[in-house]
Amino acid sequence: MNRRDFLFRTLAAGLTTAAAPPWIFANRTATLGFRLTDVTSAAGVQFRHNSGAYGGKLLPETLGAGCAFLDYDSDGWQDILFVNGMDWPGHKRQRSTLRLYRNNRNGTFTDVTRNAGLDVEIYGMGVAVGDYNNDGFPDIFITCVGQSRLFRNTGRGAFVDATRSSGLFGRQGFSTSALWFDYDRDGLLDLFICNYVRWSPQHDVFCSTDGSHKSYCTPEAYRGDTCWLFHNRGNGTFEDVTATSGIFDSSSKSLGVAMLDYDQDGWPDLLVANDTQPNKLYRNLKNGKFKDVAVEAGLAFSTEGKARAGMGVDAGDFDGSGKPGVAITNFDNEMIGLYRATAPGVFDDVSIPSGIGAASRNSLGFGCSFLDADLDGFLDLAVANGHIDETVRNIRGNVGYAQPPQLFMNLGGGKFRDVAGQVGAGFESPKVGRGLACGDFDRDGDLDILMTTNNGPAYLYRNDQTANSRSIRFHLKGTQSNRDAIGSAVQIFHQGQRQSRIVRGGSSYLSQSELPVTFGLGGLEKIDRVVIDWSSGRTEEYKDLRAGKTYNCVETKGIDARPGF
Amino acid sequence: MQNAASSDRSPTNGLLLGLVITLAAVLAYSSYITVQLAGLRRLQSEMVDRNRKDSLQLLRVQNDLNSIALAMRDMLDTTESYPLTAWTAQFERIHQDLDAGLKLEESLAGANRTPEQRLFLSQAVAQFWDAVNRMFGVAQNGKEAEAREQIRLSLQARQQALSTAVSRLLVENNEGEEQAAARIAQIYDGVQRQLYIFLAAMLIAIVLTSLYLIRSNRQIFARLAELSEQRSDLAQKLISTQESTLRHISRELHDEFGQVLTAIGSMLGRAGKHAPEGSSLGEDLKEVQEVAQSTLNNIRTLSQALHPVLLEEAGLESTLDWYIPTVGRQTGLALHYEKTGQSFPVETSAGVHIYRVLQEALNNVSRHSGARDAWIWLRYSPDSLELEVEDHGTGFVPEKLQRGIGLVAMRERAELIGGTLTISPWPQGGTKILLQIPRVKVDANGA
Repeated sequence: MNRRDFLFRTLAAGLTTAAAPPWIFANRTATLGFRLTDVTSAAGVQFRHNSGAYGGKLLPETLGAGCAFLDYDSDGWQDILFVNGMDWPGHKRQRSTLRLYRNNRNGTFTDVTRNAGLDVEIYGMGVAVGDYNNDGFPDIFITCVGQSRLFRNTGRGAFVDATRSSGLFGRQGFSTSALWFDYDRDGLLDLFICNYVRWSPQHDVFCSTDGSHKSYCTPEAYRGDTCWLFHNRGNGTFEDVTATSGIFDSSSKSLGVAMLDYDQDGWPDLLVANDTQPNKLYRNLKNGKFKDVAVEAGLAFSTEGKARAGMGVDAGDFDGSGKPGVAITNFDNEMIGLYRATAPGVFDDVSIPSGIGAASRNSLGFGCSFLDADLDGFLDLAVANGHIDETVRNIRGNVGYAQPPQLFMNLGGGKFRDVAGQVGAGFESPKVGRGLACGDFDRDGDLDILMTTNNGPAYLYRNDQTANSRSIRFHLKGTQSNRDAIGSAVQIFHQGQRQSRIVRGGSSYLSQSELPVTFGLGGLEKIDRVVIDWSSGRTEEYKDLRAGKTYNCVETKGIDARPGF
Repeated sequence: MQNAASSDRSPTNGLLLGLVITLAAVLAYSSYITVQLAGLRRLQSEMVDRNRKDSLQLLRVQNDLNSIALAMRDMLDTTESYPLTAWTAQFERIHQDLDAGLKLEESLAGANRTPEQRLFLSQAVAQFWDAVNRMFGVAQNGKEAEAREQIRLSLQARQQALSTAVSRLLVENNEGEEQAAARIAQIYDGVQRQLYIFLAAMLIAIVLTSLYLIRSNRQIFARLAELSEQRSDLAQKLISTQESTLRHISRELHDEFGQVLTAIGSMLGRAGKHAPEGSSLGEDLKEVQEVAQSTLNNIRTLSQALHPVLLEEAGLESTLDWYIPTVGRQTGLALHYEKTGQSFPVETSAGVHIYRVLQEALNNVSRHSGARDAWIWLRYSPDSLELEVEDHGTGFVPEKLQRGIGLVAMRERAELIGGTLTISPWPQGGTKILLQIPRVKVDANGA
């Protein structure tokens, strides 16, 4: 370390500690406090995405696919689901299906796809996990190019295709991200599905970057398509309320969706990331209808008033204000949009002052997720990057097809720093990243990272704390709320500080993270209290909870701690 | 007359006039620039900025109209599974934004818009939304085909007409902006031209003022030199006259009164020899003879003091040998006199001035210094002659020095013989007066 570096780091540490709450000092002045280990092979995860690319340069090939952490067998251990594409008709070379990996509870996984009834060939894109029938077992919705699929969990380790019986059959689209949420707070999870553009193999448009060879088109070449909203009737079937709810918008080209309560009225709102179209912030009007307020909220366009190429999106209280902030990944040269709530219902893009803007200028982001990687009490941001065009380097020398993922550490004071190159495990090696999900698969109290690549392998990175930072986790089960408690807000209070999380489905890009929520506590051994605002409207509060545990909270029934996480 | 001449030659009035003219020019130019800037600002804020903001709103409106066109295209797509009423929310959003855009646009358009244009735009927009509402009403009643027909026949045409009208307004704004840009360029050109003229005028004023100042300074310095020369001439004439008068008086005293008194003394001596021995007459004659002799001595001393004839007869060195002890006796000062170097004869005219300088210096020591001792050096060197008088008394006061005529006379005498006079205080108190004369100026042999 030369003199200038020393001074810079000392100064940075000084500024950071000046802006940060005192309870995190011990952890933040040290090194990163954690490292990532690539355990993909060791864990027995051998998934490779099949985009079906054969040279035809069909648009969906370059956009998939997603992944999810889910506890499909409800044993308390997070399992893994990968969405897969397939060969195009007439170009059949291999069989590729969804892949479900069961957690062996010892750091390894077993491929249970066939037994689970998920070895179906579909051109899958994204996944949304939610217990729509409140039977205690998560169901799976797979968005597809063509007909998307709903797989109902039988509770006996298997799934059955409930697409037809649920009334979701018959709608063809280029569906991308989806999420389960209870927009009318009736205790039943409803389904929101993003659609990208109106595309079919028969109507694929010829686009070229060199005038002769076909390349993947940007979405301007296609008409947009509306997102879909399906209301859960409670009898296993769904009703299409897209038109009546105000969600319908034929100009949207949607790739990502996140649930948030941006106006903090207790009703879930939706933020949809659109590609080359204004993003949509659908405000829940509490009467089954939504209103797009993205322009008023400052989320529709970039600060220059340009509709960017929104890909992935996540919401989280990254500044400890109690209000959700937003991250939206965009095309290269557009930077990640990092938005902070500055006034009720109004966001400011703080991407550039935070340091994320400049660091993401030359990368094309897809999956993104807020997580407290070092358990210091501040949400960090993980981003999967990768271009859509293999020949991009010929056009833009400083932008590659495979791009390093990024892990932006929250330094406090509104500043972030990319530490992907320091966390180990080759995390920063360039990848054609797409999906990204977080979950504590080894139950050590911190969040591990699952990442998919386009037409390539998936990666499982185990998070290992090196600074002995503590955490506390909450696994919510609704009784009046939906069983997964999706939409419920959890706030913890300790030493005058507050952290907040929301139990969320969707977010990121085509992916879903685990449902339990994790709070980093630095060196703290306990918290003063936790306040749970259930999505039903009920509020519960528990005091003096110790760190190092996962608490199972059952609505109206109380709270109990697992031994360990 | 003298004062009037002085004021005529003083550059103050000219400079004040120049300053007034310069300030007036700066003031005039500043006012001109202020007026031009105000005009430019008005033009930019009222025309260009307003036009630009208006164009932005027109683009917003155009964008909304395009979104409507795309939505209507989708509505005519019979493969769409949703009924036409599904587009209601989308149209409402566009309607709100379009209304907001048009409202802002109207407030910005100002005088650019003719009443006919305003009327057409507002009516066309109102009619379009009426038609949209009718279409959705028909669709609401399940008559999708009829509603689509309305889109094809009516709405698309209206949307097209609105879009054309907005485009026309954008073109007009563009033309207005080009005109404003031309006017701004004219203003900039004018200001630039005026700036060049102003700078040229300032340059000329500075050059003229400088020339005037140089000329005035030269005149003042020439006048000063003339005055100094006149003063010097006057002083030298004064000194010459003084010397001549003193010499004349000295000679008269020495030659006339000296001869008479000598004759009287001789006569009294002879008369005394005829008086009886021990008679009172003899005693009286002897006493008168002694008085005459005493008077003769005094006259000779006075004659020497006024103009030492010794200088002409025996030279400077001998004169000083006589003079210094004489002054010592007369004043009670202990004078320490020292000669150094190989002596050479000094011209009488120069010797007089050297003598007078020494006389004045010793006079000052005696009168003002309060010292009991004084040191005198006469230094002969191959190329100069130096006379130095030093005392360790109270020293001189600069103010008194400036007012004293004696010192002025000393300087003048030094200058008269081509020498320099340096008067400097002695560090330990007292004064040192040094007269330095090049040998060529004083050497009687013309060394």
